[in-house]
Amino acid sequence: MTREEHARARAQQEKRRATEKRSREAAKGSIDLPFLLLTILLTGIGLIMLFSASFPSAYYESGDGAYYVKRQALFAVLGFIAMAVVGKTNYQRLRGTARFVVGIALFLLILVIIPGVGITINNATRWLGFGTLFTFQPSEIAKLAVILYFADSISKKKEKMRDIRYGIVPYMVILAAFALLMLLEPHLSGTVLIVGIGVVMMIVGGIHGWLVGIGVGSVAVIGTLFVKLVESGVIRYGASRIAMWKNPWLDPQDTGYQMCQSLISIGSGGLLGVGFGKSRQKFLYLPEEHNDFIFAIVCEELGMIGACIIMLIFAMLILRGFWIALHARDRFGTLLVVGIMTQVGLQTFLNIGVVTSLLPATGISLPFFSYGGTALALQLLEMGIVLSVSRQIPAPRNG
Amino acid sequence: MANQEKKPNRMPEKIRRVNRVIQSRTFVLMLILGLGTFLLLVGKLWQLQIVRHDELQGLALDQQTRSTVVSASRGTIYDRDGNILAISATAETIFLSPKELREELEKEETTWTKEYLAENLAQILDVNIEGIYQKMENVESQYEVLKLRADEEVANQVREFLNENKIHGVYLVTDAKRYYPYGTLASHVIGFVGDDNTGLYGLEARYEDSLEGQTGLVVTAKDNAGNDMLYEYEKYYDAKNGDDLVLTLDTTVQYYLEKGLKDMVTRFDAAQGASGIVLNAKTGAVLAMGSYPNYDLNDFSAIQDEKMKQMIADGSASLGDMQMRQWRNKALNDTYEPGSTFKVVTLAAALEEGVVTPETTYTCTGGTVMSGYTIHCTGHHGSQTLEETVANSCNPAFISYGLAVGPERFYDYMRAFGLMSGSGVDLDGEATGIFINEDSLTDLDLACYAFGQNFNVTPIALIAAQAACINGGYLHQPYVVEQVLADDGTVRYQHDGTPIRQVVSEATSAEVRKCLELVVADGTGRNGQVTGYRIGGKTGTADKGQTGEVVVSFMCFAPADDPEVIMLLALDTPGRDTGTYPSGGAMVAPVSSKIMSEILPYLGIEPSFSAEELLGADTTVPNVIDLSTEEATTRLKNKGFSFRVVGSGDTITDQTPAGGTVIPGKSTVVLYAGEAKSDDLCTVPPLVGKSPAEANVAATNAGLLLRFTGTTASTSGSVRVLGQSEEVGAQVPAGTVITVQLSDTAVAD
Repeated sequence: MTREEHARARAQQEKRRATEKRSREAAKGSIDLPFLLLTILLTGIGLIMLFSASFPSAYYESGDGAYYVKRQALFAVLGFIAMAVVGKTNYQRLRGTARFVVGIALFLLILVIIPGVGITINNATRWLGFGTLFTFQPSEIAKLAVILYFADSISKKKEKMRDIRYGIVPYMVILAAFALLMLLEPHLSGTVLIVGIGVVMMIVGGIHGWLVGIGVGSVAVIGTLFVKLVESGVIRYGASRIAMWKNPWLDPQDTGYQMCQSLISIGSGGLLGVGFGKSRQKFLYLPEEHNDFIFAIVCEELGMIGACIIMLIFAMLILRGFWIALHARDRFGTLLVVGIMTQVGLQTFLNIGVVTSLLPATGISLPFFSYGGTALALQLLEMGIVLSVSRQIPAPRNG
Repeated sequence: MANQEKKPNRMPEKIRRVNRVIQSRTFVLMLILGLGTFLLLVGKLWQLQIVRHDELQGLALDQQTRSTVVSASRGTIYDRDGNILAISATAETIFLSPKELREELEKEETTWTKEYLAENLAQILDVNIEGIYQKMENVESQYEVLKLRADEEVANQVREFLNENKIHGVYLVTDAKRYYPYGTLASHVIGFVGDDNTGLYGLEARYEDSLEGQTGLVVTAKDNAGNDMLYEYEKYYDAKNGDDLVLTLDTTVQYYLEKGLKDMVTRFDAAQGASGIVLNAKTGAVLAMGSYPNYDLNDFSAIQDEKMKQMIADGSASLGDMQMRQWRNKALNDTYEPGSTFKVVTLAAALEEGVVTPETTYTCTGGTVMSGYTIHCTGHHGSQTLEETVANSCNPAFISYGLAVGPERFYDYMRAFGLMSGSGVDLDGEATGIFINEDSLTDLDLACYAFGQNFNVTPIALIAAQAACINGGYLHQPYVVEQVLADDGTVRYQHDGTPIRQVVSEATSAEVRKCLELVVADGTGRNGQVTGYRIGGKTGTADKGQTGEVVVSFMCFAPADDPEVIMLLALDTPGRDTGTYPSGGAMVAPVSSKIMSEILPYLGIEPSFSAEELLGADTTVPNVIDLSTEEATTRLKNKGFSFRVVGSGDTITDQTPAGGTVIPGKSTVVLYAGEAKSDDLCTVPPLVGKSPAEANVAATNAGLLLRFTGTTASTSGSVRVLGQSEEVGAQVPAGTVITVQLSDTAVAD
């Protein structure tokens, strides 16, 4: 090794050290307080509303009205610990875990569809766990895996993203793999969500503009065409679902029951609501009142004003999240936060959209509100990632 | 390189472009997910929570609440003395839930069988077992009524049976049942309620709003499993019991009226029944209103009249038609041509208009010619005073009075007397009279109107007008409900007794009364006499169009000088072969006399005997036992009694009737002088059809005493006994007073 080579190596080493030092120093920056407060606020309100909504079911099922909320609170605590740990960690380290997490996710998704291993509820095998005490959906981990991997990979591709070979094909293969495994469960809503998050990250990541146009356009055309075809009777699949979406009162006792009950809950809340804790629809009328349809109970108890305040907090969290994404130190940080906030935003919109019958029924839970311990813990962990990214936002340059 | 090292933060243009794309697309995404989606959702919430709030809340309440009906007790109907005419009592409806029953039967611990249940229920409820099996077949149903409004006793038996066998699926719900303690009495006025306890007829329908009360509710929140919610959510809407009605009806008067109507219809074989109304002449209060055929309010669908039952049995009439017939209140729902009883109104109008005076005379030649038609009179009355034209019911005289009043003024009186608009009585279904249009009224029409033909009125409207003619001229609206009382006794409604108007003057009315008293005293209405009372009245026999059938009627009032009570009876289509001439005077007046003789003393109207009547008035027999025969006979003579002495002793040892007994004056008292009084009973002889003298002989021979009622003042040779108070062949003690009613069988109106 010549002196020149030594010098170059030393220089590179110094440069790397300097980068790492900068990075370490940046990672010691303060976390984004508004985002943290909004997260805590939403989790708190979510727990309180879950307590109210789940009380009758919990009481009738186990005799303890607080059964569900106790479990949820436990996971919230775990989630906050995870958030704190991840928030402290330099998110750059997540780059290395991406492939690993994808591997784990794929493994679990394969595991769940092996007969006898997964837990089947309502003809869908989506859960893994130990009996009924602790269960979780591998698809929740799959979402995180896609976000991590896409953020890592896209951030490195830079302008190559405009190339179909590099920018489209590999991601589509991964998404197709996840989608296939999840459709086997089957888990349509989860598939929609995971593909949605992936596609949004690809779009934001810089795929060609006309591809975005084609993608958005074709989704719109296919969607409209599908609805039209179903309505005209050409396609049978999903026909009742579309019909029930358009008018659940065609069959208020059976297929339209849940939708009717949801609308009744929301409508009877009115402007001011029937009062916190005083929902009557939660008394065995509205199914899934502590899961996917918890927002209907929120609307009934707190009225339009309460529901709008909660949606405002959601909106503020999402806007703040994207603000962090826009100010992130690097593309990886940006894409990570975009992926996570897209997940929160899409789930919130799809969930409330379904509950209010703005959209046809699918089973998507409401972040921070719906009962589901693993999901809540993972959401909080993801918020930790956002906070971690927020720590490295460069201070605004003077001048 | 150097350039790069100097500016380490400087990124290549390509990278910067990539970052710009990411930044701009992230910004767009931020707007979509942070604003756009929420605006859509807020819009949807607005639509659901504000626009459709009422609709959806209604649906929510429908499913979330269970309302238990607290039934209000329907108001009670009282007569004017507080006797209960209609009252609601608790009853229980028994129903089964076939759906639940099936589920129960499938359970292993169920020990009873379907057959066991059905047999026992059929037996307890007294219903057809096949019917129960049929209801059990409707397995999707949860409510099949087995017995509507069972009595408490039956309900208790069912409860006991269900408890003993631990049967689920058969239930009892409290309900109210309407009871009518007097059965058929005043059925047409009171009316009845349907299965839903809503009034269908009569006062029950007319005063539905007052009687029904307000059903109460207890609203409880329930969960979807039907249990009460964990927290209390209850609202009470108190039941408000229905208001009570206090009627002007008097059950006693009503009873005598209905008895008279039934007797009259039976005796004279009236094909279309009869109606009668008794009013307080001074206020229009309806004391009684009856119609025959009538029905039992507690079983209103069952036909009461034997003849009508027979008609259904032989297929000549349908059950439905006969039901409608027995439910009709002929005094109110039907109109008829009144005939001569209407002359009261013509007379009042003519007097009030001054076209006739008490001094007016009219010579009847047996008929009069009008527009080429000859209208016959009932006789050749010759020269008559005004009073006599009324007493004789002389048609030509009244035609002349009517023509003298003239069509315009005649119609004005018809209107003023409320005949054209109806009486306005507070009962449902009053028919409106039928009259010729005033503009097209011919002289012939007016002539007929003057004696009550060619137009139709209801009995109630007619009697209201007649009452106005004789009570000083005041037209009152007839009414049945005196007061409406709230549950706590508060008076919610009190009838206002103000007359509608004065139609004729006091003087006119007084003259009308005088004329009408003569009708009864010595005219076509003499069968309507009531011993001891001054009665005014007017008979009527009206052709029913051209059918050849008649409606015979009689209106009377008492006391004639100061009327308290007025009554109108009408008998529709009497038989021709009853032995009695079909006229109001011959058929209706005697019945009227009988009713009046019963209700006038009851109503506390003091008799006013004439000197002649006083001689025949009831007298107390003095106790003459232990007196000498001479002294005893003197005492009896002084009291106006006849006597017969049995035995030859000097002292009276016994007498019949005993001292203190009240018997008709001039009766024969049997005195026993030493001879033992016979303990044998006497046999009542047949008296009907005999003349008063013959009857007296027959009674005396049998050892009985007679009291005459009816047309006692008449000297006519056609007076016969119409009825007797003791049946022929009955065994009664010697000296029993038998009341016989006399009647002139040849009276034509």
